[in-house]
Amino acid sequence: MDWLTTVDHKKIGILYLLAGFIFFIIGGLEAILIRIQLIKPNNHFVGADTFNELITMHGTTMIFLAAMPMLFALMNAVVPLQIGARDVAFPFVNALGFWTFFFGGVLLNISWFVGDVPDAGWTSYVPLAGTTFNGTHGVDYYVIGLQIAGIGTLLGGINFMATIINMRAPGMSFMRMPLFTWAVFVTSILIVFAFPALTVGLVALMFDRLFQANFFEIGAGGNEVLWEHIFWIFGHPEVYILILPAFGVISEVVSTFSRKRLFGYSSMVFALVLIAFLGFMVWAHHMFTTGLGPVANALFSIGTMLIAVPTGVKIFNWLFTMWGGSIRFTTASLFGIGFIPTFVLGGVTGVMLASAPADYQYHDTYFVVAHFHYVIVGGLIMGIFAGLHYWWPKMFGRMLNERLGQLTFWTFFTGFHLTFFVQHFLGLLGMPRRVWTYLPNQGFDTMNLVSTIGAFLMGVGTIVFVINVIVTWAKPRNAADDPWEDGRSLEWSIPSPPPEYNFKQLPLVRGLDAWWKEKREGHTEMTPAEPAGPIHMPSPSILPFIMSVGLFIAGFGFMYHTYWLAGLGVLITFACMFLRSVFDDPGFHIDPKEEVHA
Amino acid sequence: MSAHGHAEGQLPHEPEKATLEGRNKILGFWIFLGAEVVLFGTLFSAFIALRHQVLDGPSASELFELPTVFAATMILLTSSLMSVFAVQAMHRHQVKSMIGWLVLTVLLGLAFLVLEIVEFNTYVSEGHRMNTSAFSSSFYTLVGFHGGHVAFGVLWISLLIAQIFKKGLTVVTAPKIYLSAIYWHFIDVVWVFIFTVVYLMGKVG
Amino acid sequence: MSGNHSASGEEVRRHKVEGPQKHIVAFILSLALTIIAFAAVAAGDINTTFTYIILVLMAIIQVFVQLAFWMHMKDRGHMFPIICIIAGVFIVFMMVIMAVYWLWW
Repeated sequence: MDWLTTVDHKKIGILYLLAGFIFFIIGGLEAILIRIQLIKPNNHFVGADTFNELITMHGTTMIFLAAMPMLFALMNAVVPLQIGARDVAFPFVNALGFWTFFFGGVLLNISWFVGDVPDAGWTSYVPLAGTTFNGTHGVDYYVIGLQIAGIGTLLGGINFMATIINMRAPGMSFMRMPLFTWAVFVTSILIVFAFPALTVGLVALMFDRLFQANFFEIGAGGNEVLWEHIFWIFGHPEVYILILPAFGVISEVVSTFSRKRLFGYSSMVFALVLIAFLGFMVWAHHMFTTGLGPVANALFSIGTMLIAVPTGVKIFNWLFTMWGGSIRFTTASLFGIGFIPTFVLGGVTGVMLASAPADYQYHDTYFVVAHFHYVIVGGLIMGIFAGLHYWWPKMFGRMLNERLGQLTFWTFFTGFHLTFFVQHFLGLLGMPRRVWTYLPNQGFDTMNLVSTIGAFLMGVGTIVFVINVIVTWAKPRNAADDPWEDGRSLEWSIPSPPPEYNFKQLPLVRGLDAWWKEKREGHTEMTPAEPAGPIHMPSPSILPFIMSVGLFIAGFGFMYHTYWLAGLGVLITFACMFLRSVFDDPGFHIDPKEEVHA
Repeated sequence: MSAHGHAEGQLPHEPEKATLEGRNKILGFWIFLGAEVVLFGTLFSAFIALRHQVLDGPSASELFELPTVFAATMILLTSSLMSVFAVQAMHRHQVKSMIGWLVLTVLLGLAFLVLEIVEFNTYVSEGHRMNTSAFSSSFYTLVGFHGGHVAFGVLWISLLIAQIFKKGLTVVTAPKIYLSAIYWHFIDVVWVFIFTVVYLMGKVG
Repeated sequence: MSGNHSASGEEVRRHKVEGPQKHIVAFILSLALTIIAFAAVAAGDINTTFTYIILVLMAIIQVFVQLAFWMHMKDRGHMFPIICIIAGVFIVFMMVIMAVYWLWW
């Protein structure tokens, strides 16, 4: 019950991790099924329709229900601690964000049980996704599930922006924030400004499908390229939303495990901002072949290539951080160091794709598939694994087992490269993506086999990680405050896991890498910035859970044209908002002096 | 977690900013408005893209009646001014006066909504429905979303009026009033673009 | 309204309470800009492009007036709100270009 009503960012982070990881497994199973179907030519493991459902659900689940929530897990677990705050700016809204994501994800996956699964790709292009060619409810699950889940993400973006702007500890100016917090800040800005475009796109598609609107119906004057524009104006910033927090993790992990200050702090911050800014101006590189014309193609081509510059700055700064440092190879730093060349490979194929004329050849082949899996899996997922292993003791009070961790890394890393490196060549040989099978003797057969084997190896790596979690769960919860001994930022100055209120007294920050600075001067604690006393905490609440259930019910009502049900769901949600407004939360107080430490 | 905002029990000058929670809410709301700019902007872009695709239905210049739109604009503009006065009364701690201005805000908002509902009904009877054409779909979605925002604002401010009666003006209720006023002004700003881009440009052709 | 001293005798900053004048001026400006815009269309015989320019100009000026006065954006402490609105506007600007130039051919 505590978990259903919590507004504590630390618990919400764990909820995001649990739910996100479960969806990661589901998305991973979908991937394995895809790869089994493609293991040999003319295979009939699954039929064409099921294959389309699998690729749609795999992409949608992995991006929206696995990667983003696991990033939110790290963001929630770490950022308030790194800025010396007791929670985020809006703890209630934080909980609401989790539950809407959760129920949106559940709604989407109920489609499997109903047998009416979205099958128009994770990008859901019209007219394939319209009612003419997709008359059953599959795409409705996509539209409504994502709409509900997207509300949660938007709320989270607003929350972290406000938190980082308003709630930093005394002395922590913007340029004294740890890089992970900076990355989360910039990511939150991307979320706030990119998600509303998706909201409108989904509304338009929903209205087309449910109310016979004509946004995308050519016969009634609609325009299908409009969907692509709206989707990618969201979709391109979305991929930067995915990768920037991972960049933040790498900055933390690389500097901690090189026992060295991050090289080029200011340029790292500037690079984050520039990537985000440019990221809004390159969306049509997903649309080079739609016929926008040479001027548009040229502009977007150049813009896309420009993003490689600040990204390159970051790569070099990570390398310069390690150079001359005292490097420790833990699981976290292995994933961090493994990230660097892998992400560079993904990045350079991105620059190849950025050339519009060349893209006419690459488009819709496995070359694109290879590129984005290199940056998303090789980049983002490795970053998440690094962050999980690094901050696990802070979140759970236990260290993960190092040997199992190294096994996780090597199996996952090897499996990853086996799966996706060959896909570059498959694409260059002309194998099209999103097609359920292929004919033999085109040079595809062996590489597809290798790719499938790699996928299984990644599965093994994931299982090893799960075993690691289970095995260490039985151990006592006795991690040190600063278990890596080389922690540089504020989260390592408090117990693992922290008490409910995080900091007994808000700390005084006297420089960058605030905790490292205090340790170098011989202190064992941060200097407090306020007197000790009772701490005001926000009360738990069941309303976020119920509001999300209301939206969930409304979603089904709309989908199946059962409008009394839709109305009921909306009413439930509005009723909760009413209660929240009318009954102000007085909170409760914790007096740290009265607590007994075990 | 919260700071103390007043001396000897008196309400501070800007009660909405006196607590950390209040300042957080105001900042958070501005950030939300940034997102709403993109939301409405996307709806506008879709409308601009599709506004000539009228098919067999009536076109913009045939449908729109300028006097009605002008009346609606005046009503919403005045209601926005009423909400400015409400916040000023709040800063002077004149609770009764504040409530008066808020009631006027809500009444004018309701009048706007009534006008808009009548307007939409007229259009439907003239053959301009959600499913008539791409123009009609984007029209109803954009203008309807705005109307939905007005309706939500009317409900919200009414609820706040009731809360002020029950709880009085405090450092907890003041930020809510302030936020609702910013929200209301924002809806008026969006309307400026709607009457310009949808109605006036529609009339011109 | 508080006087200069609290009960404990300390000096309390006297807060300037702003009158309604500026806001009424903003209201009248908005009204005027609206009327000009409607008049430009009602007149009927102004060249279309020129009318468009008038309409857009009136709208932009009115939005500035409302944001600055009614939403306090000219007052201090509004850096982040200003950044948020500008960022939103920038993105919408790109979307409008998309809608006008890169959608129909």
